[in-house]
Amino acid sequence: MTGININKNSVILAVLVVLLLLLPMVVTKPYYLHVIIICLLWAYLASCWNIIGGFAGQLSLGHGIYTAIGAYITVILFNTFGLSPWLGLFVGGGAAILLSLMIGYPTFGLRGAYYALATVAISEGIVVLLNNTGSIGRFTVGGAEGLIVKSVGSSAAAFQFNSKIPYYYIVLIMLFLIIFIAKWIKESKLGYYLVALREDEDAAAAMGINVRHNKLIAGAISAFFTALGGVFYAMLIRYLEPNAIAGASMSTQMVFLAIVGGSGTVLGPVIGGILLALISEIIRFYLGGQLMGLHLFIYGMIVLLMIIYQPRGIIELFEKIGRRFSRKHNDEGGRSGAEDPSGA
Amino acid sequence: MNNKCKRFLGLLLTVAMSFTLVVGCGGQNSGTATKEVKMGTILPLSGSAAPLGKIGQQARDMAIEEINEAGGIKSLGGAKIKMVYADSKGDPAVGVSEAERLITQEEVCLITGCYQSGVAMPSTEVAERYQIPYFVDVPSEDQITERGYKYIFRLAEKTSWRNLAQTEFVTEMSKKYNTPVKTVGLIYENTAWGQGAVRAWEKYLPEAGLQIIMKEPYPTNSSDLTPVVLKAKQLNPDIIMMVSYVSDAALLTKTFAEHQVKPLAFIGTSGGFADPTYYNLAGDASEYYFDIFTWEPDVNRPSSKEVNERFKAKYGYGMNAEAVKAYAGMYVIADALERAGSTEPEKIREAFAATNINEGPTQMYASQTKFDKTGQMINAPLVICQYQKVNGKMERVTVWPENEARVGSEIIWPYPGVAK
Repeated sequence: MTGININKNSVILAVLVVLLLLLPMVVTKPYYLHVIIICLLWAYLASCWNIIGGFAGQLSLGHGIYTAIGAYITVILFNTFGLSPWLGLFVGGGAAILLSLMIGYPTFGLRGAYYALATVAISEGIVVLLNNTGSIGRFTVGGAEGLIVKSVGSSAAAFQFNSKIPYYYIVLIMLFLIIFIAKWIKESKLGYYLVALREDEDAAAAMGINVRHNKLIAGAISAFFTALGGVFYAMLIRYLEPNAIAGASMSTQMVFLAIVGGSGTVLGPVIGGILLALISEIIRFYLGGQLMGLHLFIYGMIVLLMIIYQPRGIIELFEKIGRRFSRKHNDEGGRSGAEDPSGA
Repeated sequence: MNNKCKRFLGLLLTVAMSFTLVVGCGGQNSGTATKEVKMGTILPLSGSAAPLGKIGQQARDMAIEEINEAGGIKSLGGAKIKMVYADSKGDPAVGVSEAERLITQEEVCLITGCYQSGVAMPSTEVAERYQIPYFVDVPSEDQITERGYKYIFRLAEKTSWRNLAQTEFVTEMSKKYNTPVKTVGLIYENTAWGQGAVRAWEKYLPEAGLQIIMKEPYPTNSSDLTPVVLKAKQLNPDIIMMVSYVSDAALLTKTFAEHQVKPLAFIGTSGGFADPTYYNLAGDASEYYFDIFTWEPDVNRPSSKEVNERFKAKYGYGMNAEAVKAYAGMYVIADALERAGSTEPEKIREAFAATNINEGPTQMYASQTKFDKTGQMINAPLVICQYQKVNGKMERVTVWPENEARVGSEIIWPYPGVAK
């Protein structure tokens, strides 16, 4: 009966994947596609954060620095040397890994709120640095005025497209990739180590788990993929402003979406990212030009209600429904749902 | 049907409904026969700059009402202007997505906006890509019209022009009052705005033979600026120029008064010094401070007073320079549409490029409205005002250039010090 379940799940999954792949044929208006791309990007970024914030339980409130470092390095290399962003993103990602190790080494000794505070402090520091650095040698950083991505028209090598469709497929692939990686981590030894140290760091250490080492690995993976998200943002918006890409709103949004969706699960952040970003866009679409700030107020209310009534994330809601559904349809289904608390 | 099933169905319907909301909007283009010219405006209608976005919206609404009541766009059969407002939240990424929406979804024939330069930079890029004219009324960042774009037209001045005008003003005053000016001190907040101003000052001041002997950046919203002020007192530059938001502007002014710093002149660069609350915070210490802006309520230009009165009657408070640009901008747009005789973006672009307005309501902003090859307004006007007591009440008195100065006004130069 578990077998039936898996089959059913994989059928649903396959259908979903096919639907997602065919989506640009149905959604032809660039604006809708743009909204969908933004939703998927947020889902991706929330999933990246989830690796260190959810699985390992390290409340990083400064993930914006990784989107920033990926984006800035890639764009600077492209603007200065014409290096294709496809190659630049590895440099940016590499730099993010280095940065995460540099930050992680001293701070992963800190616990709870102290670690969160340290990440806030570091990210604020980096925002100030970016705001005040006009150029380093011959590299233009742009300072507070921001950095423009040199426009070369539609060029696949330069990661610039006039159509939204390539961006859609790129972000979709990125999302699949991060889901796959999250699933792999969760089922690997690393995933169990992370859960162990999240639940009780001392107990985990006593069991012989190298706590700092595992945190550093999770942090590096999370930083690398977050940086790729930053590169994608840069090539989609084509303009980098320190406060927008590295600031508190970028950092907290990732955390927010992951927690509302269900942190520590594979699909929670994805669902949170897509749903909340979509709600925010829809509300702005209908109310944006009208009463000042009403759409933000409504958005805030929705998030508040979700946190009060669904504190373990939207994913839990989906799981409950899924369980009821399968129980109804294969009578004997008690076990399948009940013994799969981690879910998805 | 049991409860659970109902709940599930409810959820399913909600999801389905929100999906149709998204997809269903495609078909709501107006198919009605009444002629309309649909255009879009991106403004910060929420977030910290919301009040500034709101006054821009009101100024536009007033101009549109007037234009529509006067018969709309006559070459288009009296078509009425219909404005779709989009909220950028002051966020560049949101600005981009709203520009996409206005162009591809609302199918507007042109876009105006958008207050912040940070939003203008990427959102104009979107318009350029779709070849839709983008009329930039307020953002002043130099680069906006320096990227070789063909569909961007800017009514505002470039940021650096303010610094150029300040330099010209100082040179002129030093001759007129025979007070040699050799050195300048710069005090600025460490943001895009401050950094841009410093770059322009470093270009124009030395060109005019002035030496910059002090460059003092400080973080926005400082709680104490005494060290900056003491440094200025020690180095004693002839002129002190500042870039500040309101709380820092007031703090600087008060601290200067406290330490009796006495250069030939204090000159602000709009922003905080132009904020209505500046005087409330700084008090009498603000007397004789200079400030630069594009418009003042007392400026001596045709139709300026009347329009401002109408605005006051309609909304309960007066216009500011941004509102004037938004208002005048609508008339520039209407003029371009009239000459284009079409809502085709390419035709509108050509009409904008050929703009040459020398009369009408745009006079309150500039005597001539004309764009150069890059789409930049030529001769965007700048005026310098001075805080002076008129009948015992502190006012911003427009003093320079002479032909636009308040009638009967006088420049107080050099700075006489704080009244004891």
